[in-house]
Amino acid sequence: MAKDGEKSGWKEYIWNPRTREFLGRTASSWGLILLFYLVFYIFLAGLFTLTMYVMLQTLDDHKPTWQDRLSTPGMVIRPKTDETYEIVYNVENTESWDMYAQALDKFLAPYNNSVQAEKNNECVPDQYFLQEDSGDVKNNPKRSCQFNRTILDLCSGINDRYYGYQDGKPCIIIKLNRVIGMLPSKDGQAPFVTCGAKKEDSDKIGELLYFPPNGTFNLMYYPYYGKKAQVNYSQPLVAVKFLNITANQDVNIECRINANNIPIGSDRDKFSGRVSFKLRINTIN
Amino acid sequence: MGADRSPKKKKGGTKDMDDLKKEVPITEHKMSIEEVCRKFNTDIVQGLTNAKAAEYLIRDGPNALTPPPTTPEWVKFCRQLFGGFSILLWTGAILCFLAYAIQAATEDEPAGDNLYLGIVLTAVVVITGCFSYFQEAKSSKIMESFKNMVPQQALVIREGEKVTINAEEVVGGDLIEVKGGDRIPADIRVVSAHGCKVDNSSLTGESEPQSRSPDCTHDNPLETRNVAFFSTNCVEGTARGIVICTGDRTVMGRIATLTSGLETGKTPIAKEIEHFIHIITGVAVFLGVTFFILAIILGYSWLEAVIFLIGIIVANVPEGLLATVTVCLTLTAKRMAKKNCLVKNLEAVETLGSTSTICSDKTGTLTQNRMTVAHMWFDNQIHEADTTEDQSGASFDKSSVTWLSLARVAGLCNRAQFKAGQDSLPILKRDVAGDASESALLKCIELSCGSVRAMRDRNKKVAEIPFNSTNKYQLSVHETEDPNDNRYLLVMKGAPERILDRCTTILVQGKEQPMDEELKEAFQNAYMELGGLGERVLGFCHVLLPEDQYPKGFAFDTEDVNFQTDNLCFVGLMSMIDPPRAAVPDAVIMVTGDHPITAKAIAKGVGIISEGNETVEDIAARLNIPVSQVNPRDAKACVVHGTDLKDLSQDQMDDILRNHTEIVFARTSPQQKLIIVEGCQRLGAIVAVTGDGVNDSPALKKADIGVAMGISGSDVSKQAADMILLDDNFASIVTGVEEGRLIFDNLKKSIAYTLTSNIPEITPFLFFIIVNIPLPLGTITILCIDLGTDMVPAISLAYETAESDIMKRQPRNPARDKLVNERLISIAYGQIGMIQALGGFFAYFVILAENGFLPSRLVGIRLNWDDRSTNDLEDSYGQQWTYEQRKIVEFTCHTAFFVSIVVVQWADVIICKTRRNSVFQQGMRNKILIFGLFEETALAAFLSYCPGMDVALRMYPLKPSWWFCAFPYSFLIFVYDEIRKLLLRRNPGGWVERETYY
Repeated sequence: MAKDGEKSGWKEYIWNPRTREFLGRTASSWGLILLFYLVFYIFLAGLFTLTMYVMLQTLDDHKPTWQDRLSTPGMVIRPKTDETYEIVYNVENTESWDMYAQALDKFLAPYNNSVQAEKNNECVPDQYFLQEDSGDVKNNPKRSCQFNRTILDLCSGINDRYYGYQDGKPCIIIKLNRVIGMLPSKDGQAPFVTCGAKKEDSDKIGELLYFPPNGTFNLMYYPYYGKKAQVNYSQPLVAVKFLNITANQDVNIECRINANNIPIGSDRDKFSGRVSFKLRINTIN
Repeated sequence: MGADRSPKKKKGGTKDMDDLKKEVPITEHKMSIEEVCRKFNTDIVQGLTNAKAAEYLIRDGPNALTPPPTTPEWVKFCRQLFGGFSILLWTGAILCFLAYAIQAATEDEPAGDNLYLGIVLTAVVVITGCFSYFQEAKSSKIMESFKNMVPQQALVIREGEKVTINAEEVVGGDLIEVKGGDRIPADIRVVSAHGCKVDNSSLTGESEPQSRSPDCTHDNPLETRNVAFFSTNCVEGTARGIVICTGDRTVMGRIATLTSGLETGKTPIAKEIEHFIHIITGVAVFLGVTFFILAIILGYSWLEAVIFLIGIIVANVPEGLLATVTVCLTLTAKRMAKKNCLVKNLEAVETLGSTSTICSDKTGTLTQNRMTVAHMWFDNQIHEADTTEDQSGASFDKSSVTWLSLARVAGLCNRAQFKAGQDSLPILKRDVAGDASESALLKCIELSCGSVRAMRDRNKKVAEIPFNSTNKYQLSVHETEDPNDNRYLLVMKGAPERILDRCTTILVQGKEQPMDEELKEAFQNAYMELGGLGERVLGFCHVLLPEDQYPKGFAFDTEDVNFQTDNLCFVGLMSMIDPPRAAVPDAVIMVTGDHPITAKAIAKGVGIISEGNETVEDIAARLNIPVSQVNPRDAKACVVHGTDLKDLSQDQMDDILRNHTEIVFARTSPQQKLIIVEGCQRLGAIVAVTGDGVNDSPALKKADIGVAMGISGSDVSKQAADMILLDDNFASIVTGVEEGRLIFDNLKKSIAYTLTSNIPEITPFLFFIIVNIPLPLGTITILCIDLGTDMVPAISLAYETAESDIMKRQPRNPARDKLVNERLISIAYGQIGMIQALGGFFAYFVILAENGFLPSRLVGIRLNWDDRSTNDLEDSYGQQWTYEQRKIVEFTCHTAFFVSIVVVQWADVIICKTRRNSVFQQGMRNKILIFGLFEETALAAFLSYCPGMDVALRMYPLKPSWWFCAFPYSFLIFVYDEIRKLLLRRNPGGWVERETYY
C-alpha cells in the first residue's frame, strides 16, 4: 500500500494533472525560472567576455608577458617514436628502421636548400641577427636565416637516404626549443651540443660525429621573434651520428646544450637543456 | 488502575511493551496482611524459611534490574563512522578506489589523484567520526544510572533471625526491615511502621516525604500508604514489610524496562541531513550521467567515460561539510552547556529548535517563572494588587481588618524567605528561597505590610504541615502577637475549593460571618473570574484555636493531626500570575497535572489557547446547549481530562490531535504522557518532553527530545533524556530553543557557503572533458579548498547572530522547511557558484595567456598537453614547451584558480552571513568570521609561496597581479546578492523570495 502511494506520488510529481505541474512547477513557473537563468547566464557570459577582452588587450602581440618558465629551453630529438624516447631497431629488418628514415625525411623537408633559398635570407654567421623595432615602428615582418639541409652533411639524408640506420650508424637530430628573444650566448661563443652515454653505458657509445661540426647552433639563428613576426623562421638543428655503437645492447644517451647564457634546468625537467634517449641496435652479426 | 493484573510479564516484544505501558498491576496493598503472607508462604514474624528463600531466588532470579542493553562502544563508534553524512563520503571513497583500480588495470602509469582522493575521503570520515564519538562519550559519561540504584545491603528476617544480606538475594515474601536513611530494597507491603517516611521523588517527582503505614489508603498502589517502592529512600522512622516484587517486576523495574525498550526515531537534523544527501546525490548522479553520455558522444572510450563519471560524482561530495556540521553542532552544544543545558547527543542540539510540540507539566516552561500577585479577593470584592515599589498604586484600603488578616495568613503560612544580604536591593528584585507562588506572596506582603520576618518573629511558629498533593493545603500554627493571649493561631492556605470546604465562617469587613449560600456563590464567582484570567488562585483561612482545648504548650502532632483543621474562618483569595514567555511555540500541548479549569486558564494566559478559540464546552456554554450537541469540529481548542484519555482509542486520540490546534491535557498521569507523545509523533510533530520523575522517563525517551532536570531529576530520567538542565531552570529550555533555531539557520548558511565552491570545483573538470583544455583545477587544490580554506569561514558562520527575532517565528515545519532545499541549491550552484567558476576560469585564462597560450590555442590541446613525450608543444607565439614547463604553468593555474576561489569565497561568506537582511544591517561583528577571512587568505598565500610547496603539493608562487583576477567577480557576487536580498525584503512573498529564499 505504501508502495502504491509512493508510486502515485512520483507520478504526480512528474506530472500533476490537477495543478498542471511538471516536476513540481507550472508552465509559467518553469518559463519564469528558465527565463531568469537564461538572462542571468547571458549577463554572466557577457561579463566574462568583457573581462577576457580587457585582459587580451593588455597582451603584446609578439611577445608573451611572462617567459620565466622558459629560461632553460627544452631539447627534443628526432626521429620521435610514439610515446617513448627509445630508438630500437634491427639492422637486418628494413621495416624496423624504415619508419625512422621516413620520419626524418618528413621532418627535414622544409630544410631543403631550395625551400630555404626561396623563403629565407643568407645571414652573417656567428653573430646575432638582430632586427629590433625602432620605437613604436614595428620592423615587421622579420626576416629569417637559412638553415640548409646540406649543413647536416652525412645526416642530411641527401646522399645517405636512410640516415645510416641501415648499417647501424644512425643519425639523431637534436633541436633546441624556440623561445622568443632568447640569446643563448653572452660573448659570441656559439652554444653547442654534446652527447654522451650515461655512466654504465659509457664504453658502449663509441664514436660520435656532429653536424654541423662541433654540434653548434649558429648565433645567427637567434633571437627568435615569434611566429607572427618571423613567419618563416627555421629552427637550427644539430645531427649526431653514432659511428660504432655497441650492438644488441641498450645504450642510454644524454645530450645537453652547452651555452654560457642558458641556466641549467631543474632536475625535475628531463628535457630542459638536455634530452635523454635509449638507443638499441639489434643485429645478427 | 491495574487493568492488567497478570503478575508475570508476557513474552514477545510488542505485547510486552503494551503491557508495560499499562499501569502498575500491584494488588497486594488491598489484601490483608494475612492474605499477603499466604500468597508468599511467609510468616509475619518468622519470615521465610531459608529453603523457601533459596527456592524463590532460583524461580525469580536475583533482585536486580536487568541492565539496559548497553550498546558496545565499538557499535557506537561504528555508528559515528557510518551514520548519516559519512555514508556519502564512504561512497565517494569507494568510487575513488574503484576508479583507481580501473585506471591501474588499464594504464601503465595511472594518475594517483583518485587514490589520494579516496585516502583523504577515508581519513576525513574517520577523523570526524572519532571526533564526534569522543564528544558524545564525554557527555554521556556524566550519567551512570541503573546500577547505582540497587541498594547494597538489606536487613531480612528469615526463620526468625535478622540477617543482613546482599540486596540482590532478597526474594518475594521476604520480611524486611528498613530504617531512616535506608534505600528500600524491593517493592514492599508495609506490615508495621513507626513514623516511617519515604521520599518517593525519584518515582513520582513529589518531593515531600510521605508517611507509610500498614493501612491501604488508596486504590492506586502508587498513592496508597502501605506500599514502599524499590529504590526510593526511607527518610525517617522504621518499617517492616513483606517483599511483594523484586527486580524487574518492581514498579521501578517496569519503568526501567519500558524505557530501555523504547525505540527512538531519528533526530530531525539526521532526517535533514538524509534529505540533503538525497539532493546532493541526485545532482551528482545527474551531472555524472549527463557528462558520461557527453563523453561517449565526444568519442571517449567506455573506460575513460566511466572514470569521468566517477570523477564527477566524487567531485560533488563536499568533503569538508561533515566536519563543518560536526564542529558547528559541537560549538552549539558547548555554548548550551555554558548555560547549563547539557546535550547528550550532538544531533539533539538542533531538535529543540524544531520542536513543534512541547509536552510539559511545568508551566514554568511556558511562562517567565516570575510569579507575582496580581489580584486579591476579600470583603467580597476583587482588588488589584499593588506591585509598585513605593506602594503608590494602592487601590484598596490597607487598613481593612480583613486585609491585615489576609496579609498575616499569607505571611505566616509561607516558608519562603529572602536570601541574606539583599537589604539594599528593591524588594521585587531580591532573590527568594522558596517556591514561585510563596515567593510571590512573600514579596507582595513585604511590599505592603513591611518586614515579614518581623511578623514571623512576633508570631512564633509551633507546628507546620507543608503542602502536599493529597492535602492540597499547607497549614501552620503560631503563637499570637499579643503576649497575654495564650491562644494559638492556625493559618492555612491552599486550593480555594479545599479551603472553602474547611470553612464555616468568612471574614467580611473584619467581622466573622457564617458562610451562607450567597457568600459561597460570591466566592465561586470570584474564583472563576480570577481563574479565568489565567491566574493561580490560592485560598486563605485562619482560626484562633480555643484556649480550653489547646492550652499553651499543647503538643501539635502534624503526623496524626490532633487538632482542628476545619470549622475555619475564610479570609480571602489571592491570585498570582506568571507572565507568559513570548517564545512559546505555537503548538504547545500542555500536559499538566492541574485541574482542567486552571489548566485551560493558564493555557489561555500563555497563548496555548489563543483568543477567540473555544473548546467544545465553551461553545456549549455560549449557545446554551448540551455539550453532546456541539460539533466537535467547530472547536479549535480542546481540554482533555486524564481520566478520559485512558478510555480513548488510538484513532480517537489521533482525531483529537489532528483536529484541534490547541490542546490541553489536564490531570494526566505521567504514564499517559507516553501515549500523548506517541500520538503527536504519529502526526508528524517534533515533540519535546520535560520531566524529572522516573515515571516520566518513558516519555522522555520516546520524545524527539527529552529534557530532564539536573538537580531534582532522577538518574533514570536523566539517562532517558537527550538534554539535561543542569540548574533545573526552565528558562534554559528557551535558550535551547533559541540555540537550536539559530544553529539550524546557521547550518543553512554554512552549507550554502560550502556548497557554493562545489561549482568552481566541478566545472574545470567538465570543461577539461568537453573542450579538451588543460585541467584548470586539480584534485589537490580542490582538497585544499574543501578541507583547508573553506573550513574556518564555514564554521565561523555558526557564530553568526540571528537576523531577526528567531523566537517570534513559528517552529519550522519539518515537511516544508528543509535544511537544504532546491532554492539553496539554485542559489549556491546555479548563481553564486557560477560567478565563482567564472572568476576561477578568468584567472586560469589570464595565466595561460600571459604565458603564451591564448584561449584559442587551448581548446583541443589536452591530448598533446598531457602527453609526456611531447616536449616541444607550440604556444600561440610559436615558442615551444617541454612537458614539465607547461605542467608548471598548469599547476600555477591550479594555484591561481584556488586563490581565486578563496577570493570569491570572501564575498560568499559575507553574503552567507544573512539570508534576508543586508550585510549592512547585520554588521560585521562576527569576530570569528573576520578571523576566518584572514585565515583563509593567509593559508592560500602560504600554500602558494611557501618554499617546497611546488614539490609537496604542486602549488606555485603567483605573480601579485594574478591575485586580483577574481576581484571583479567577488565584487559582483556581493552586489548581486545584496540586490537579491533587497528585492527579497521589498517584496515579501514575491517571486524572488519564492525562488531564492533558502
